[in-house]
Amino acid sequence: MKIKTVLAMLVLAFGLLAGSAAVLAGGMKADAAMAADAIAKAEAARKQAASVNGEWRDTGKFIKQAQDAAKAGEYDKAVKLAKKAEAEGRLGYEQQVSQSELKIPSYLKY
Amino acid sequence: MKKILITLALLAITAVTAQAGPEEDRMAFIKYYKAKFPSVPMEEYANGVYAIDPIGRENWEAIEEFPPYEPFIDAGQAMWEKPFANGKGYKDCFPDGPAMADKYPSWDKQQGMVVTLPLALNQCLEANGEKPLKYKKGPINNILAYVAFQSRGKVINVEVPKDDPRAMAAYEDGKKFYFTRRGQLNFSCASCHLQNAGLRVRTEILSPTVGHVTGWPVYRSKWGTVGTLHRRFSGCNNNIRAKALKAQGEEYRNLEYFLTAMSNGLELNGPSARK
Ligand code: HEC
Repeated sequence: MKIKTVLAMLVLAFGLLAGSAAVLAGGMKADAAMAADAIAKAEAARKQAASVNGEWRDTGKFIKQAQDAAKAGEYDKAVKLAKKAEAEGRLGYEQQVSQSELKIPSYLKY
Repeated sequence: MKKILITLALLAITAVTAQAGPEEDRMAFIKYYKAKFPSVPMEEYANGVYAIDPIGRENWEAIEEFPPYEPFIDAGQAMWEKPFANGKGYKDCFPDGPAMADKYPSWDKQQGMVVTLPLALNQCLEANGEKPLKYKKGPINNILAYVAFQSRGKVINVEVPKDDPRAMAAYEDGKKFYFTRRGQLNFSCASCHLQNAGLRVRTEILSPTVGHVTGWPVYRSKWGTVGTLHRRFSGCNNNIRAKALKAQGEEYRNLEYFLTAMSNGLELNGPSARK
């Protein structure tokens, strides 16, 4: 795996932890606006990944589930799903960008 | 002096790799698989995974005695012979007859793109005011099964014409797709079908890329019907948790172009049956 990808994953993982920790620590509850914001960010990240053919299989599904949860008033759940989708979108984008140059694996000998 | 020579030699190798054309790529693939499966004769690769899986092969040979794809060939023949609403038919688009699977995929200079057999069939329909067929499931597989059956024994010979740089770009694009990791599992086609060919994934053995395009359309027991190559691409993309791209979109057509060039010299034997 590319160093960059690993770094991106760590940053994202840490960000996610920090984010949810903040919500938990403050006993803060997500509201409709937070959910809408998280969903919009997730959708933007998904689109960016798709723009380089790097979208992952379930990202769209998570966004759909987040929208459904928000509609049902389950904002915490919606934010959680949207963050997961956003992380996937970023990783999928980074995955493709980090491979923009074709590299033939060393086991294939010419 | 020796050092310089070695450096030069290394440089030369890198250069070849970077610009390797279809034939160099194919030779590298064959060299790789020959080292991995020394007892498998070249022509066996046309049988996909059954070239390297003796147990699966027994089962397969039993299935091929009463081929599950036969009704689809018959239905395809009826489609071939039935006139369109305007009185014309496939025969008018393809005057040399249905034994033509070896002519695809090919670079179409006028359209500036790789034209595959399913695409050419649909272009024929559309040119005659008919509705195009869906590319993964359904009746397209009938007509493909008929054309494949009529084309059995023809030899794959994909050419990447030198007089149009866009053709090589399309080939390169397909090659890049093949080697690019995607999806949550971060696998490329090469991870499974090159690096790990012959290994078992759950209940299946990973087939070599050489021979991947010979037997289409394929009757898959898991599908319970006959499906197209691009349906299979979608499936393999989904398995690594990548979103599948559009069947017959540019990416998959270019991928097919590259993949077919890797099977140059093998005989077409479609339709075929798989697990
Ligand atoms: C996780 C491993 C994996 C990856 C990655 C993968 N495949 Fe597959 N593929 C399989 C398995 C398993 C099968 C079924 C057994 C077999 O024939 O190899 C299969 C079957 C196929 C077949 C059908 C072969 C036949 O004879 O019917 C084709 C064609 C194919 N893959 C192409 C691709 C392409 C192109 C890619 C990259 C876009 C790809 N695969 C990526 C696992 C993978």
